[in-house]
Amino acid sequence: MSNNMKYWKGEEELNRDARFLAAQKNEFNESLPLDEVLSEDGFELNSNRRDFLKYFGFSVTAVTLAACYKTNVRHAVPYLVKPEEVTPGVANYYRSTCGACSVGCGIEVKVREGRPIKVDGSADSPISGGGLCAAGQASILSLYDTERLANPLHLGAEAKDWSELDNGIKAKLASISQSGKGIAVVSGTVHGPTTLKAISDFTAAYPTAKHVMYDAVSYSGMLDANAADFGTRAIPRYDFSKANVIVSFAADFLGTWVSPVEFSKAYGKKRRPDAEGGMNQHFQFESALSMTGTNADHRFPMKMSQERLYLSSLYNYLAQKAGATQMPVVKQGELAGNALKSAAEALWNAKGASIVVSGSNDKVSQQLVNAINVLLGNYGSTLHMDQHSKQHQGSDSELAAVLKGLNDKSIAAVIFYGANPVYNRGQEWQAAIAKAELSVSFAASKDETATVCQYVCPDSHYLESWSDAEPQAGVYHLGQPTITRVFNTRQAQLSLLTWSGAAPQIDADPFAKKGILSQKFEADPYYIYLANNWKSQGLNEAAWTKALEMGVVSGTASAASMAYSGNAVALASEVASVKADNGIELNFYAPVGVRDGAHGNNPWLHEMPDPVSKVSWDNYVALPKSLASELGIKERDTVNIKAGELMYQNVPALIQPGQANGTLAMALGYGRTAAGKVGGSVEKGFETIGFNAFNLGGGTSTVVGNVEITKGDAQYHLAQTQTHHSIEGRDIVRETTLDAFKKNPKAGNDKAATHVYTIWEKRDYRKDGSPNHLWGMAIDLNACTGCGSCVVSCSIENNVPVVGRDEIRLRREMHWIRIDRYYSFVSEESTMTREADIATADAANKGEYSHWENVQVIHQPMMCQHCAQAPCETVCPVLATTHSSEGLNQMTYNRCIGTKYCGNNCPYKVRRFNWFRYNDNDAFDFHFNNPLGKMVINPDVTVRTRGVMEKCSFCVQRIQEGKLKAKRAGKSPNEVQVETACQRACPSNAIVFGDLHNPESEISKLYRNERGFRVLDEINVQSSVTYMTKVRNTTKA
Amino acid sequence: MIHDSIIRERLVTGDKTAADVTRDIARPILNQPSTAWKVGFTLSVIFLGIFALSLFYTLWTGIGVWNINKSVMWGWDITNFVFWVGIGHAGTLISAVLLLFRQKWRMSINRSAEAMTIFAVICAAMFPVFHMGRVWVGYWALPLPNGFGSLWVNFNSPLLWDVFAISTYFSVSLLFWYIGLIPDIATIRDKVTTKGAKFWYGLFSMGWTGSTRTWARYELISLILAGLSTPLVLSVHTIVSTDFATSVIPGWHTTIFPPYFVAGAIFSGFGMVATLLVVARKVMNYENYITIGHLEAMCKIIMVTGSLVGIAYLTEFFIAWYSGVEYEQYAFLNRAFGPYWWAYWSMMSCNLIAPQVFWFKWCRTTPWFIFIMSIVVNVGMWFERFVIIVTSLHRDYLPSSWVMYSGSLTEVGLFLGTFGIFFTCFFLFAKFLPVINMAEVKSILRNRE
Repeated sequence: MSNNMKYWKGEEELNRDARFLAAQKNEFNESLPLDEVLSEDGFELNSNRRDFLKYFGFSVTAVTLAACYKTNVRHAVPYLVKPEEVTPGVANYYRSTCGACSVGCGIEVKVREGRPIKVDGSADSPISGGGLCAAGQASILSLYDTERLANPLHLGAEAKDWSELDNGIKAKLASISQSGKGIAVVSGTVHGPTTLKAISDFTAAYPTAKHVMYDAVSYSGMLDANAADFGTRAIPRYDFSKANVIVSFAADFLGTWVSPVEFSKAYGKKRRPDAEGGMNQHFQFESALSMTGTNADHRFPMKMSQERLYLSSLYNYLAQKAGATQMPVVKQGELAGNALKSAAEALWNAKGASIVVSGSNDKVSQQLVNAINVLLGNYGSTLHMDQHSKQHQGSDSELAAVLKGLNDKSIAAVIFYGANPVYNRGQEWQAAIAKAELSVSFAASKDETATVCQYVCPDSHYLESWSDAEPQAGVYHLGQPTITRVFNTRQAQLSLLTWSGAAPQIDADPFAKKGILSQKFEADPYYIYLANNWKSQGLNEAAWTKALEMGVVSGTASAASMAYSGNAVALASEVASVKADNGIELNFYAPVGVRDGAHGNNPWLHEMPDPVSKVSWDNYVALPKSLASELGIKERDTVNIKAGELMYQNVPALIQPGQANGTLAMALGYGRTAAGKVGGSVEKGFETIGFNAFNLGGGTSTVVGNVEITKGDAQYHLAQTQTHHSIEGRDIVRETTLDAFKKNPKAGNDKAATHVYTIWEKRDYRKDGSPNHLWGMAIDLNACTGCGSCVVSCSIENNVPVVGRDEIRLRREMHWIRIDRYYSFVSEESTMTREADIATADAANKGEYSHWENVQVIHQPMMCQHCAQAPCETVCPVLATTHSSEGLNQMTYNRCIGTKYCGNNCPYKVRRFNWFRYNDNDAFDFHFNNPLGKMVINPDVTVRTRGVMEKCSFCVQRIQEGKLKAKRAGKSPNEVQVETACQRACPSNAIVFGDLHNPESEISKLYRNERGFRVLDEINVQSSVTYMTKVRNTTKA
Repeated sequence: MIHDSIIRERLVTGDKTAADVTRDIARPILNQPSTAWKVGFTLSVIFLGIFALSLFYTLWTGIGVWNINKSVMWGWDITNFVFWVGIGHAGTLISAVLLLFRQKWRMSINRSAEAMTIFAVICAAMFPVFHMGRVWVGYWALPLPNGFGSLWVNFNSPLLWDVFAISTYFSVSLLFWYIGLIPDIATIRDKVTTKGAKFWYGLFSMGWTGSTRTWARYELISLILAGLSTPLVLSVHTIVSTDFATSVIPGWHTTIFPPYFVAGAIFSGFGMVATLLVVARKVMNYENYITIGHLEAMCKIIMVTGSLVGIAYLTEFFIAWYSGVEYEQYAFLNRAFGPYWWAYWSMMSCNLIAPQVFWFKWCRTTPWFIFIMSIVVNVGMWFERFVIIVTSLHRDYLPSSWVMYSGSLTEVGLFLGTFGIFFTCFFLFAKFLPVINMAEVKSILRNRE
C-alpha cells in the first residue's frame, strides 16, 4: 500500500508559496548569516541561546585548559612609591671609588632600577682617568656573590643581631685593653681619611690598639728604601706621560704594579708615534714575560736574583756620564748585547724625562733605583715624592711583629680588615689567631682567615658603602652606595666606630611614627660621620654635594720638600753579596686577572685569559724552553716544584716564550681554599683552583732561588683560549719601527693594495634614504697593552655567559672580544713567525734556545668586524644575521636556528655559539644560575638561549641609547655620543668608535690616518674595524 | 627477441625461466626469515638504539655534547651528512642514467641500489636536521608562509639550496623506486596467503593488472622519471659542494668542487652498492642474477671515479700553489703535513691508490676482495669529507683561532647509529620487498619462451 500521506513543513509549503518554492531550489533555503560573520562591525551579541551555550562551553573549557599550564612564579616588586630619580629603563650614574683593590680608582657606577650593573672609570679621577682594569670591572659581581655572608658569624654560627655581637666584642676589647694586652687592627692598605679617622678613633678608645697595614703583594722593600732615602715611607707618584724613556726591572706597571690604570693611561698617551714630545721608548728587564714586558720596545731576559748587580751597572754607566762617583763593584753585570749600556745611553739622552722602576721587593734594589732616578734628575718631573702615592703602605715587618705578638700572647685581640693572612702569609697565622682571646674578621665571605676567627662581621660591599679615599697625597675620592645593603652586613668603619663608641647617634626618624618609611640616606650613621669629617675640613654643603656628584674633592698636597739623602756608593757591599749562582729561580707575580687572590671567587676574572699566556681558570709553572727540553716536559705535562720546605706535586707546566733561562714563574692569587663555589672551598667541597704560590714564598718576595723541579707524573690540560702563538708570516698585524715611520708615515702599511676582483657591488649606505650614521671602529695597536679590561667590560655589558674551564678546554669561550697575542721569535736580528722556522731553529739550537727567550709580542683585540660584505650574512638560511643601514652586522637571536654556518664562514672566527643553555643550568653554576647573580644582568641586552649564535654587536643598545638621547635633546646626528663597552673600559684609549658619516669625528680622522689598515682586506669583506700599524721605538740611542 | 651475444656474458646465468625468477626472488618474502636475517636485523636494531640514545642525549643537553668548537663548528655531523648523501648517489645513477643508456645489466641491481639511495638519504638528512642548535624551529628553513611578520628564507644561502636539492632528490628517488616496485608488488600480492599481507601488498600494488596498457604506462613513466632523475644525480652533490665552494674559507673556496664532489659521490655510492651486493648475492643465493659480470662492471666504475677524484685532489693542490694565495697554500700543505696528516693520507691511499688494483681482472672478479675494497673506498670517502671540513676549519685565516678537533663519543654514536638506520631499513626491505626487479629481469632472460 502506497503511502499517500502528505507532510508539510509549514503553511508556505502547503500553500505552495512562490517565495518558498524559489528558496527550495537553493541548497540552503534560508540565507546563511555570512555577512554577520564576515563583517567586522563589532561583536554585538545577537546570538541565540544555543550559540551562547556553545561559546560558554568553549570558553570555560579553554580557560580550564589554559589554567592547567603551570607557569613559573616570577618575583617582581614594583615601586609602591616611585623614587624621584628612578625612571624604569633609564640608567642613573653615580660617581664612587673602586674598592676592588687599594689603588682607589674613581669610578662611575651605572644603576638600573636600583641595581648597579656596570662599573667604569670616572673621567674626573686623576687615577683612573676614565679607564678601569679588569678586576675593577669585575668587582661588581662580588656584590651579587652568593658566597657573601648574609649575617655576621659568632663562632661559626649565624648571629642576626648586631647589638648582641657588639656587646660581646666591646666587653672583650675593654677587658683586653684594661689588662694592657695588645689589640691589633690588621688591614690592607687604607688611605681613606675618614676610614683612617675611624680607625684612629678606635685606637684612641682602646689605647693598647695598633693599626697595622700590609699588602698581600708586598711593596715593603720599596717603601723602606724610600723611607731610608727620602725620610718618607711612601711610593712616589709616577708620571709616565712625561717619560720619554722607561726602564723597568720586572715592574708590571701596566698590569698590576702600584697604579696600573693610571700608568696605562699615561703610557698610552706617550705610546703613539705622533705623541707630544715624541713616542716613548720602553726597556724591560725581567725573568717572566709580564704583560708590561710584552709592550716593551726592548725586552731583555734576566735572572732576578742578579738584579742588584745589573742595577749597579746601570748606575755606574750613568754615573760615568754624569761624572759622579761610581760604585766600587767587583763584578760588572751586563746582559747580552750590552743591554744595560744601551738602556743607559737612552736614559741619559732623556735625562729628567725618564723613569726607572723596579718591581722587586728588595730594599737595596729599590735604593739603587732611587739613586739612578736621582742621577737622571727625574724627581720633580716624572717622579713626585711630594704628591706621593698612598695606594700601598703596608709593612711586612710590622705584620711580622703582630704575628710574634699573637704567638707570645702580648697581643690578645686581632681584627682583620681587608686582610687574609692565613691565605697569603702562611699557615702559621692560623695557629696564631687561635691563640688570641678575640679575633674578628670583616671579610665579606668566610675566607681562610675568617674561618679561624671567632667573630666575622661582614663588611658591606663597596657599592653598598660610604667611603672616601686618598690614593695620592692631595687627591681625594668619595664613594657612595648605589644599592641598599643586599645582606645583613655593616661597613667595617661603622663596626669600629660602634665598638669605640664614636658612631654618630641617629635621631629617630620623624616620619616613622606616621607609618611612613623615609628612605633618606642620612639614616646611615657612617654617612653622617663621613660628611661631618669632610665638612669639618671646610667643605660647605654645596661643595659637598658637588664633590659627591663628581666623586672627587679637589685638594692640595702638602708641598713638603723631600730631599734625597741616600748614598748609592754605600750600597756596594750589598751588591757584592749577590750570589752568582742561585740555582733555578722561581718568580712570583700577581696575575692581571685575580691579582692577589682577593677576587678568587669572581668567575669573570677566572674566565678572562691571562694577557700573556692566554690561560684561564688556573695558575701554572711557566718554564723556559731550555729547561722544558732538559726535563722532557711537553705540553700538558706537570711538574713537581719545591721551594724552601714546601713541595707542590703535579703543578701544570706551561712552556712560556720569553721566560729567562734558569728561571720559573708562578702566579699568586690562586689556590684559595675558602673562596667559595667558583674559586674553591675545602669546607663546602668545591675544587680549589690552582696552587697557592704565597706558600712558596710569594707575596713578600718576588723571587726565590734554589728551587727543585722535576717532571710530574700527572697530565694536565690547561684551558687556553689561544693555542697557536705564531702568526705564520701572515699580513694580519702590521708593524714598523719609529725610524721608518718618521721617514714615511705609511711605513709597514705600504703593501700594494691587493687587486680585488669582485662581483659584489660596493655597499652604498646612502642609497636608502640617506641613513644618518655609518658606524666604525679604530684600534690603535700601539696603545693596546693587552690588559683584558675590554674583555671583562664587554662580558658585563652584553651578558656574556661564563662557561668554565672544561668548556674553554673545548675551545668554546663565549667572549665577544678577545685579544689575540702573537709571539715572534727573535734570533740574531731576524724574527721568526712561522711554526716551521721555529722548529728548525729549535733543532739547530739545542740547549740555549735564545730565540725562545727573546720574543717580541703583539696584542690585537679582535671582535666582529662588521663587514660590509659579510660572509656570515649570505650563508644564513633564515636571514638571522643581516646588515643594517648603519653598517652594523646584526644578529637576530630569535630567528636563529643554529646551523652554525655563519660561524664557519667567518674569516675572523668571532662568532660564538650557545652550545648549552648557560643560564639556570647547574652544569654552569656561575652567576647566571642564581637569582642574586642575575641581578648584574644588563636589562638592555637579551640573555641568549641554547642553540643560537651570538657575537659583538658594537653595543647596539648603546648606539640606540645615544641616538635617542641626541634626538630628545634636539641635537644633530653628528652630535650623537656613543661609547662601546670595550672603548669605555680601555685604560689606554686604544679603541675609538664613532660615526664615519661625520667627517669631523675622531673615527673619520683615524680612517684617513696613514697607519690604518684592515685585517684580511684582500678577501674583500670590507670590515668596519681599522687597526693602526704598530710602531716599535727601536731607535738606538 | 634476445640475442645471445658471443662476446658478452649472459646477464642472468643458470638458465633461469620466468617462473624460476619469481620463485627465487619471492622466496625470502614468502618464507619465514632466515637465521642470518634475524641476526643481522637484531644487530641493526641495536645500532639504531645507539642512534636513538645519542640523539636523545644531544637534544636533551645541547649540541655542546659534541666536541665541535668556536672554529670547527661543523665536524662529524656534516662529514657524515656528505658521506651519506654521496652514498645515495649510485642508486639513481644506476637506475636513471643506465636506463637512459639502455644498459641492461643494471636490471638486477637497480632495485637494491635505489633502496640504498633512499635509506642513505634518510641517514644523511639526520645530520643537517639535528646539527641545528634549535631543531624545534628548523622548519624555518622552509619557505613556508608564516605569521612571524615578513620573515622569509635566504635564497642566497647554499644551506637553503641543500634543503631543496635533498628533498627533491629524495622525493624523486622514492617515487622512482616505488613505481618500479608496483609490478613486483602485484606479483607478491598474488602469492601471499595471509589476510594482512594480501591487504598491504594489494594496497601498494595500486590495482596493477598487468595489462598491456599498464605496462605501456609503466615504461613511459619510468622513462620520464629517469629523465627527471638524471640531472638530479649531478645537481644534488653539486649543491652540497656549494656549501663549501661558496664560502670564504681556504680549502673550501674552490671552483672544482661540483664535479669533484659528484665524482666522489658516484665513487662512494658504487662502493656501498658493491658492499651490499657482494653479501646479498651470497646470503640470498642470487649469484645467478647478480653475476660476477655485475661486480666487474661496478669495479670499473669505482676505478674510473676513484681516479677522477684523485685527479681532483692533485688539481686542488696545483691550483692552491698556482693561486699564489698564502692562506690557500697553507691550507693544502696543512692537510697533507699538518696535524691531520693521517686523515689526508688515509683519504689519498683509500681513494686514489687503492682502486687502481681494479686494473687487474682477478681483483675485479673476486667477490671477497671486492668486498674489502668497497669498504676501503667508503672509509676513504668518509675521510675525504673529514679532511675537507675539519682540516680547512681548524686552521683558517687567523692563527689565534686555530684549534684541534676530535669527535666526542656522542658524535661517534650518531655516526654508528646511522648505520643502524640504514641496515634496519635494508633488512626490512630485503624481507618484505623483492630486492631484484623481477619484472625487468624476466625481460633479459635467455629462454623467454
